[in-house]
Amino acid sequence: MSEYFEHVHEGRPIDDIEIIDAHAHLGPSGGFHVPKCSPEDMIRMMDTCGIDKTIVSPTPGLTGDMALGNDMMLDAIKAHRGRLYGACYVNGNYPELSVDELHRCFGENADVVVMKLHPILAKCRMDDRRMKPMYEFASRRKLFVIVHTWLDEDPYGNLDIFSAVVKEYPDIKWLMGHSGGPYGGRRAVEIAAESPNVYLDITMSMCPARQIEFFVREAGSERVIFATDNPFIDPRPSIGRIALADITHEDRINIFGRNAQNLIGI
Amino acid sequence: MAKLAYFDCNCCVGRVAYPLLHDISGTEGLIREMDTAGVEEALVFHTVARDSDPVTGNRMLLDEIAGNDRLHPVWVVLPHHTGEMPVPGELLKDIAENGVRAVRMYPTGNSQGFSLADWNAGALLGALAEAAVPLMLDIEIAGWESVADILKRYTTLPLIVVDANYRHNRFSYPLFEQYDNFHLELSRHFGAGIIEDIVARFGSERLLFGTNMPQYTGSAAVSLLTYSEVSRADKENIAGDNLRRLLGRALS
Repeated sequence: MSEYFEHVHEGRPIDDIEIIDAHAHLGPSGGFHVPKCSPEDMIRMMDTCGIDKTIVSPTPGLTGDMALGNDMMLDAIKAHRGRLYGACYVNGNYPELSVDELHRCFGENADVVVMKLHPILAKCRMDDRRMKPMYEFASRRKLFVIVHTWLDEDPYGNLDIFSAVVKEYPDIKWLMGHSGGPYGGRRAVEIAAESPNVYLDITMSMCPARQIEFFVREAGSERVIFATDNPFIDPRPSIGRIALADITHEDRINIFGRNAQNLIGI
Repeated sequence: MAKLAYFDCNCCVGRVAYPLLHDISGTEGLIREMDTAGVEEALVFHTVARDSDPVTGNRMLLDEIAGNDRLHPVWVVLPHHTGEMPVPGELLKDIAENGVRAVRMYPTGNSQGFSLADWNAGALLGALAEAAVPLMLDIEIAGWESVADILKRYTTLPLIVVDANYRHNRFSYPLFEQYDNFHLELSRHFGAGIIEDIVARFGSERLLFGTNMPQYTGSAAVSLLTYSEVSRADKENIAGDNLRRLLGRALS
């Protein structure tokens, strides 16, 4: 039984481990109703379960206007310094604007710490030649880059495309968003074994049994990153997935926050 | 807060053709997942009843969980017209004799090949409604239009939508508003603040704890509930009391 069994079942926040949520969003979605999606809502949910810091890329940027989303991100991290950090979203359909956005966001606020891609929402393949200037920016700065990935049903960011691109840019630290989705786990750990600059993201709404144990056994807990998709997904289910998993306390420390601290420096 | 007493409405036993990650097909594996998450009891159906043959799967289920007082059987049922299952009155007797208090149906051509409309499933739905036997429908298969139609036609039928997700509030909220017999299971209904929002708008009496173990981990649904900002009474309702009340009224 996990050392946090009582914590979780009593609804007590995990307050003795630094918890960093490396993959979150912000704001409403046009496609569906999100009950709690403001920065204040997100921080309140973080407080209920013990999440210390969250890296956000606002939803309206992913689904429409990249600059609008990045503006929302900059406003939120300025208003909630030390709790919210920024992921600058870029879109391969706008290569020049994307590079401008990278310079603007990373230049304006040191709490912008990540570059974010969502190939299927942009309908721009991860290996599209227009992505090159963004990858070069990220390589020069040795950035942490989050990419939405899916096993094989995603013609823009499936795991085969992801696997090829990460090898071309070894200076980038890549977070494999969703680790290829609920059926992607086996291929995801193969890619992590092939490429030492790849990390596994636990974000999911269909959360396979024993997935966390599998990731730790196959890739090591140093390669697994806590993430939630808040507010698409409530952050609190992901707390239970790590806190109650059959892994060691050291593994929990790595996954919940130490890995992100080491990689991103927040 | 003392630990909640969980009664999971959405578990299964049996092998599946395409596992998410691991093959956890027997009672022993399910119990291990329940213990890891801290779930005491569960309603269970057999995957063979869903994916291959309801008659065979329902029989296998009774054998698989026999003697285990933490697991309670759910049968997959069909309309009687092809003779695979008895007429509704006889089916209800079988259900009662075998300790079954809730059923599932898998309609449409992509699943078990029948319609939920009255010309096809009307007799069965009417019998279930009269006996107040909870009916669980997988929303990916049944669809929201069929669910709304059944809720309107059979107001005494406790209908539980399972496997709804964070994208479905614009479908589910009108049903909460309009139909007291609409219930929602939470195994992947993880939109941010979902429990607080539904409880504030509609109360906690129609939300049911579910996990889809052993396909999914149970720990996600557990921590969504334990960390939610609703009252202890609301958490008890959702964790198991609502389901216990529904099952207590079935076949009575």
